[in-house]
Amino acid sequence: MDARTVLAFATKELRDARRNRWFLLHTGALAALSLGISALAVSSQGAFGLAGFGRTTASLVNLVMLVVPLMGLTLGALSLAQERERGTLLYVLAQPVTPSEVFLGKYLGLALALLASLALGFGASGLLIAWRVSGAQVQGYLGLAGLSFGLALASLGLGLVISAVARRASTAVGLAIFAWLALVLLGDLGLMGTAMVLRIDVGALFGLTLLNPLQVFKISAIAGSQGTLEVLGPAGVFAFRTFGAGLLPLLLAVLLAWVVAPLAAGLGLFRWRGAL
Amino acid sequence: MRRREAARTPRALLACGLLACGLTAAPEAAGEPAGRTLVVSARGPHRTLEDALAAARDGDTVVVEGGAHGPVTVSRRVALEGRGWPVLDGGGRGTVVKLTAAGASLRGFVVRGSGASLDDENAGITVAAPDVRVEGNRLEETLFGISLAHARGAVVAGNVIASKDLDVPRRGDAIRVWYSDDVRIVGNRVTRGRDVVLWYSQNLAVLDNEVTDGRYGLHFMYTDDADIEGNRLVGNSVGVYLMYSRRLRMRRNVVTGNRGPSGFGLGLKDMDECDVTDNVFADNRVGVYVDNSPREAQSHVDFVRNLFAGNDTGVALLPSVRRNTYTDNAFVDNGEHVGILGGGTLGENAWARGGRGNFWSDYAGYDRDGDGVGDVPYRAERLFEHLTQRNPALKLFTYAPAAQALELAARAVPLVRPQPKLEDPAPLVAPHVPAGLPRGAAVAGAPLVASSFGLVALAVGLLAVPGALLRGRARGPVEARPPGGTARAQLEAGAAPVLSFEGVTRRFGATLALDGLTLAVPPGQALAFWGANGAGKTTALRCLLGVIPFEGRVTLRGHDVRRDGKAARRQVGFVPQELAFHDDLTLRETLAFYGRLKGLGGAAAEAEALLGRLGLAEHAHKTVRALSGGLKQRLAVALALLGDPPLLVLDEPTANLDAPARAGLVALLAGLKAAGKTLVFTSHRLEEVLALADRVVLLEGGRLAADVPPRDLGERLQAHATLHLLLPPAAVERALAVLTDAGYAPARTGAGLSVDVDPTEKGRPIALLVGAGVPLADFEVARTGSAERRAGPASGPGRA
Repeated sequence: MDARTVLAFATKELRDARRNRWFLLHTGALAALSLGISALAVSSQGAFGLAGFGRTTASLVNLVMLVVPLMGLTLGALSLAQERERGTLLYVLAQPVTPSEVFLGKYLGLALALLASLALGFGASGLLIAWRVSGAQVQGYLGLAGLSFGLALASLGLGLVISAVARRASTAVGLAIFAWLALVLLGDLGLMGTAMVLRIDVGALFGLTLLNPLQVFKISAIAGSQGTLEVLGPAGVFAFRTFGAGLLPLLLAVLLAWVVAPLAAGLGLFRWRGAL
Repeated sequence: MRRREAARTPRALLACGLLACGLTAAPEAAGEPAGRTLVVSARGPHRTLEDALAAARDGDTVVVEGGAHGPVTVSRRVALEGRGWPVLDGGGRGTVVKLTAAGASLRGFVVRGSGASLDDENAGITVAAPDVRVEGNRLEETLFGISLAHARGAVVAGNVIASKDLDVPRRGDAIRVWYSDDVRIVGNRVTRGRDVVLWYSQNLAVLDNEVTDGRYGLHFMYTDDADIEGNRLVGNSVGVYLMYSRRLRMRRNVVTGNRGPSGFGLGLKDMDECDVTDNVFADNRVGVYVDNSPREAQSHVDFVRNLFAGNDTGVALLPSVRRNTYTDNAFVDNGEHVGILGGGTLGENAWARGGRGNFWSDYAGYDRDGDGVGDVPYRAERLFEHLTQRNPALKLFTYAPAAQALELAARAVPLVRPQPKLEDPAPLVAPHVPAGLPRGAAVAGAPLVASSFGLVALAVGLLAVPGALLRGRARGPVEARPPGGTARAQLEAGAAPVLSFEGVTRRFGATLALDGLTLAVPPGQALAFWGANGAGKTTALRCLLGVIPFEGRVTLRGHDVRRDGKAARRQVGFVPQELAFHDDLTLRETLAFYGRLKGLGGAAAEAEALLGRLGLAEHAHKTVRALSGGLKQRLAVALALLGDPPLLVLDEPTANLDAPARAGLVALLAGLKAAGKTLVFTSHRLEEVLALADRVVLLEGGRLAADVPPRDLGERLQAHATLHLLLPPAAVERALAVLTDAGYAPARTGAGLSVDVDPTEKGRPIALLVGAGVPLADFEVARTGSAERRAGPASGPGRA
């Protein structure tokens, strides 16, 4: 593995991202929506001279859960599949590079592109919040940005898993959007329904939600910014009581697993599937 | 605790007695008027505070001009005044200042360094006498701050209290008022304390204080008749907790960001006759929590003109709560405006009075008559909240998009709407903004500003940098090139092969695309793969490059392409059939990118030389998209030559070129061959093979059918011809029979039959069919090599 080769792919990918309509659309949407949310927080509460930072955080958590996975999944899904469809992947793999270098280079480049996108969104709305809202906590805000990046990496990994096997870009995007829908809505709704019908105990319910990286992100964000999970009801209290100070490290470890596992799976699949 | 208080009580009484005696007896005894001023300073007259206090009599003022002093006990009715912030330092032991005389006062001191014993309640200042004033002092590094016990009529005003930086359980109370009626706590700033506690005391005024980062901002218990007004309670575990008291009036307070484990902005427990007016409860876990208040049947708890904004829950009530009245409040963007702890429904609480209800930010009604009151009632009927009441564990999905989807569904489909939790019959259409609040807090958090700028800069940097990197300005070292110039000599000397296939097999499902291909190519040789489409030519090249899995072994200059693919591919420059580059890069950027992949570090000099050599210099700034097919092909060759690899692999290099471009490329390749490059290529054009190849490998169904010199290929191509007979459908069977009887092996085609014939007897099958009376519509003759007989015509059809 040659770091220079990985870096070459990463810079190429980062450059491509700037011209990728999906990326631009998502970055614009994220920046506009986070600014909008912050502006709303400012106008509805800041106008009264209030902090309201916690509520702003909650809204941002919500926004990140919707937009960031979509960004990661579609960017990741397009990445290899598009090049495979165009034939450039075959040509690139015919160069003195390894499939791992191609994969990791693309991952790194896209990760940096996502980082840029998130930094722009969080930076812009952070300025707005700092300007108008008192009591905003910089650590909490940066923590949320960091967790969002973690979620972006997890989604990117899942997108690349799709991309590693999809032959066509359109198939890959279709699968990515389905995966997004499953993560955002279907999984949670299914779990809520199951919990209602089967009366799953809180421990099991908490465990099952950790199967969804979006929930891991959300719970980490709440645990990180509020110190407890009381707002999440009995299951949250259970988790807090059970794991105590170890809860946040545990959640971060699960999020890390959500970053690493798709990355490893995607890499394995790509090496198996190759350029064709 | 009580024992200690009991012990102190006689002392306080004694002090009162002494004070009373002093007021009457002291002037007479000294024969001097009361109210002298004793000055403590380095110049005298009193050099130490102890001296001055010993000399002081009731009614005197002791002025302390700066300096550092030890702990003091004030047991006479003396006014202690600090000028230039003199320090009273406890040295980390015990209590620093004890005010035990009625009417004593302390003003303008820095009080610091109490002990840290919770058992002994080490404090900055203790007051154990009535009518004491503690004003304008700064308390630093104290365990308890100002502690009043049996101190009726005391005034604690304008002090700044910053307790020791300890974990909350190890902290003491910042201000404590016990058994002290008629006390005024005004304009103090408290941070990092445990609680501000007011217990067992009547008729208190707690005005305009600021309490931050503590546990209980204000904690009242058994404290009737209190005014709590204009205070700011920010970032505590709980803002205000009022318990077991009556006639408390809470007005114009700002209670925000209280998010401890319970996180109440205001908690009411067993409270009666309580008026909560014009307050702001924002960004708390729970804005207001009500438990068994009011407890008496004739009592009330009224909430009027408060703002509940951005709390997780605006107002949380226990199901048993009755006789609360909420009017003219604004509920804005709370996670849940009103929550019922433990589920159930609310009863006997009024959400409107005198035709005015509250403002609800999620109210979806209208106000047609413009009286400020909505024409349809507000109903709190959120489906997700309802579900969480039925199964509280579902709160785990709070803030999840799925929960919002449920709300949307409930609004769209009335069938799934839950029973409303409460109904406000007269909702307001505009929020009431509590008076006197600052509009738009422009408190810019400097770290957040800096961090946000940092984030934006990071984004801009990340998105701006790669362009520069890709332009390939770096002049990296060119790797040592493998020897290539002497290849011709090596070929003649029988040198080790540049390329070898050993039993290479590739399957696509059940199909064998390549079947045990074995061959070796010595340096400087030009080898052409020849065969029909699907014969395995391209597959052989892909195996050679190691871009698809296969069985067997391919080595390039001794490097196994599967085990050591990178080193192997460094020996190869590849020109694909379908030219697939990144269209939006310029030629120069493309060369820089692939140069980096080849470990050339940008190698701008070599790239420029190649651009010149291939006649691309004038196009270097153009994007690949803007190039013609011929120029693209030249770019492909330039890329293949980057790094000067000994072997060039070309897949149908002329397939998409017009005649002049084709001739130019063949000439270029001939030149490269002459310069010693080893060439491996596929082609469908005989003239190219004849012009370039030293050797032709014929593939047929993935197998090596022949390995011959190019001149033999020409002969082989003449060896067979295929006759395509176009027949009416009705005549096909008959024609089949005629030709089979004559010893041919005809095959059906879409339009008739095809039959392999000796090139010298192409007319014979036609004559046979005509003789047998079969109607023949038309025919075509195709020449094929042996490798192509199954694949159909390779050259253009010709009429016999």
